[in-house]
Amino acid sequence: MGDDVSESVPVRQDQPPSYEKSDLVEEDQPTSVEEVALELMNFPASQKKAVLEDGSLEKTVLEVEDNPTTSEEIAMIGGQDLKQYTFCVFQEESHLKVLQSLIDEELSEPYSIYTYRYFVYNWPDLCFFAMEGDRYVGVIVCKLEATIGGVLQGYIAMLSVDVEYRKRGIGRALSEMAIEAMAMKDAAMIVLETELTNKPALALYESLGFIRERRLLRYYMNGVDAFRLKLILKNSADLSFSED
Amino acid sequence: MNGSSVAEPPDFQAATAAAAAAAARASSSEQDEWSASECGFLDPEVQRTMRSGSAAEDITQYPMHGWVDVTREFHDACAELQPGELAQDMLFGLFEAMSAIEIMDPKMDVGMGFDKQDLPPPSFEAAIATGAIKLDDLTPSELIGIFDALFSCLVSWLEGNSMDQVLFTCLYLHAPSQIKDKALRVFCTAVRNLIVVIKNIIAVAAVNEEEDFQLYGNSALLAAEKAQPAAVYSSLKEVEDQLVRKCKKLTTATEDWMAVVHRLRFMRHLFQVIYHVEQMASNDTVDDKVDIYKILLVASEMLPGIRNTLDRGTQPEKGSEAPNPMGFSPRIHDRSQPPAFPRSIKIRDRPASYQFLEEMISRFKYACKVSKYKDYYSALNFFIEYSKKSGQCILSRSVLQSLFSANMRMAHGKLPMKQFLRYSVQIFNSPPVLNAKHPVAADPKVQQHLENFFRYCINMNTFTQFIRICGFNRARQRDKLARLIENFDTIQVDAARLDSLMNQLANERAMEGNEPWATALKHSTHFSTWVLYNCFRAMLIFLMSGFELELYAVHEFLYIYWYPYEFLIGFLVSALTRTENILLAQEEYAEHQSKIQSSAGGGGGGAAKSRKAAKPKKNKKQQRPYRAEIVFYHALLSLCGGMYKAMGALTKDGRVRLPLSQFDNEEIRYNRRFLPFATLTSPPPVSYAEFKNIREHMMRPSVEDLYTYAAKHFDQARNVLESIQNPDQEMLDLLQIARTNFVVMNVLARGHQKEVKRQPEFDFSKHSYFPIIKLK
Repeated sequence: MGDDVSESVPVRQDQPPSYEKSDLVEEDQPTSVEEVALELMNFPASQKKAVLEDGSLEKTVLEVEDNPTTSEEIAMIGGQDLKQYTFCVFQEESHLKVLQSLIDEELSEPYSIYTYRYFVYNWPDLCFFAMEGDRYVGVIVCKLEATIGGVLQGYIAMLSVDVEYRKRGIGRALSEMAIEAMAMKDAAMIVLETELTNKPALALYESLGFIRERRLLRYYMNGVDAFRLKLILKNSADLSFSED
Repeated sequence: MNGSSVAEPPDFQAATAAAAAAAARASSSEQDEWSASECGFLDPEVQRTMRSGSAAEDITQYPMHGWVDVTREFHDACAELQPGELAQDMLFGLFEAMSAIEIMDPKMDVGMGFDKQDLPPPSFEAAIATGAIKLDDLTPSELIGIFDALFSCLVSWLEGNSMDQVLFTCLYLHAPSQIKDKALRVFCTAVRNLIVVIKNIIAVAAVNEEEDFQLYGNSALLAAEKAQPAAVYSSLKEVEDQLVRKCKKLTTATEDWMAVVHRLRFMRHLFQVIYHVEQMASNDTVDDKVDIYKILLVASEMLPGIRNTLDRGTQPEKGSEAPNPMGFSPRIHDRSQPPAFPRSIKIRDRPASYQFLEEMISRFKYACKVSKYKDYYSALNFFIEYSKKSGQCILSRSVLQSLFSANMRMAHGKLPMKQFLRYSVQIFNSPPVLNAKHPVAADPKVQQHLENFFRYCINMNTFTQFIRICGFNRARQRDKLARLIENFDTIQVDAARLDSLMNQLANERAMEGNEPWATALKHSTHFSTWVLYNCFRAMLIFLMSGFELELYAVHEFLYIYWYPYEFLIGFLVSALTRTENILLAQEEYAEHQSKIQSSAGGGGGGAAKSRKAAKPKKNKKQQRPYRAEIVFYHALLSLCGGMYKAMGALTKDGRVRLPLSQFDNEEIRYNRRFLPFATLTSPPPVSYAEFKNIREHMMRPSVEDLYTYAAKHFDQARNVLESIQNPDQEMLDLLQIARTNFVVMNVLARGHQKEVKRQPEFDFSKHSYFPIIKLK
């Protein structure tokens, strides 16, 4: 993964891309950086109607506690050693506590227990944990549902990596794992929302091929705008440009 | 799966069956009725809703539900569940899960914001009883404090806060009729009426979205006293006059009292304008003698005086949430809000609120200018500009919509839009068939075709919708434009059909030897040019607004700038040039005709000749109405070209970060970005393969050459922009961007920073469509 950039670079065959990935790295910073902290959904009462209509969450907050990283570094992940971590899906009730502790601690805006349950018991196989030894260090929570238009849409609801384990590619690995799982189940696209100000998260998703499709004004309780991000997996005409 | 009960109906059935059985048992046995307060229905809004469910209007008692204690049955049912299992109703989905509030969690439970010792927030009656608020003999300082705080609340409401949580934290607004102090009573009544009137304007204009404005609040509070907006002006005037007379008798504190008067007067003018706009929007017959612009001028003249006397009023206490010490009960509605996580409410401070009002008044003044624009082309231009400058304020946007539709109604009688569009095409490129003086205008067949076309335009709603879309907030505009663009296709087809019909008729008339008619009908694509021009504009705004909304990643800039550079701006320029040429040709034809007539009339004197010699020059100038716009598009074209090639050069130079993912697919991204254009017949969609070919060709030269080509485009843009006389701020900003990027491209072409391949910074702070490229 990550090495095939030729498709995106328009150059002639006899003129290979004139750069290596490493060229793009800031000299004084480590290469592999990933700092996606937390992502949660939450939305004001006024926007709840939208949830009912399209079945997707209207709001995802991605919070970054400390933000020393520039966005470009995030995009430069690849090739780091993730061997020390193991990954597993949601299996049992005790995982719920782990999930809550990974996500709740860092958050300013809350989730009810029902929200967690809604995701992990409906789509346990789309909830992945990252572990180092027996310590849980990251989690991603997703769902996969057909939209009104009949296309299968994946949704990344939460992504969180323990503060001490950030910038190691765990968030990226979890995202790829989840996207792949949804793609295997025939998802036509993956969507999520993230805060305008969360540059690391935006950079991560951008490097995964997501586009910022819509801007959502005053989306969060703190009045901050959000972006709706989309990764289209199937080049299909029936994915209309809608306000979903 | 996993033994969870969510997916397993038996547990759920067990739980619900027990509850159902209990309910069935209970319905037969008579139980004591529970009082409303015991049931927890303290919230007046809930009470009202409950009452409204009943047929009777005046119910002082609660409906007699057979409330039953099912605690034991509930516990029994729960015993059947394993730890962690949950009985889930079919209807309990994500929405319910998200709406659920965990009691006692401070992040979710509004009540946790209160200490046990806290007294309930005082109501109007309670505040009177405890003497916390005065109803009579308020000092000027107290009045100023309350008035200023109310203006702050009004502004905060217009900024999207809940009406209950800002305006109706002012207890005085709950029952102004009980206030004895006349100035305060009249002012509070004015605020209440203003709320009603503003809500009407925004509802009628309907360019609001939930994130802009909360249209609904606790209507019971407003309903308590009937709105009588027509009486507000005169009662404000009356109390002002009384206070002025009082001032004359006073020897002390006259300035304080005058500060009160100024606030009343400002309110009177503000109210008068807003009320008048509302009347214009909702009534056909409006007193058009009221000159809104003049009133706005007076209102804005009042503001400096008011801002100078802010310190004469009582000030909010430090650490208090109340915008004024007396008369406000900040948390009074916390418990009557819809069940949601507590949102913090921020009320603007007083100087910032008056600043807002001042700006709003100048936006209103600007909006008044819409009456000058009588045709679609100029009106649309005005709306686009207005949105750029005033897009933030929902009331300003709504006022413009109201003024425009009222203006159209007055200018064009009963069928405003159809006539308006007809007139607009005539102004835009003057198809001879639309000229009423022309003999062809009387041909019923021709008229029928025209009628059909314009009726179709109205039915499709495309043109009206474009103007309305400009009234929405900037983020929503883009979503709506995407759908609007698709709508243009059918109208394009219809316009092209009309054009060819006219040409066909022209040929027939020519065969008949009827030359004047043939000439009149022979029009080169007038209608389709008009439709296409508007479609292109929507496309350009759609595409470029992605920069303003920060939707594009840097690696996407290349194809985004490429499309307008390669196609769109060229289309716009050629549509306008074609239009100018048509107008010119018509002018020449008319001249030619008159020449024939005058020479047929027998010889022309020297005077006539010299007049004719001077005339064409003057006309030529007149007939280039789109010159300025064309020049501007030339500048945009060069800027887009510059950016396109700059991005090509930077990419080839390895200075653009590209997605590194198995999931990324540029073709898909490209198709998604241009999706709204895909359905159009004209311009035909450009496939990704075509784009790729063009890009490949563009990127063939060396990196240094590419930077140099980009620099040349920026230099062209600079030349064009410098040639513009009396450039506005936007032109000057673009000029600076062109100049800077020209330098940066040249620096890169010379091999600067060759060793470190960093992605430059793209700084959009000067212009929302074009960045200054900055090397780090």
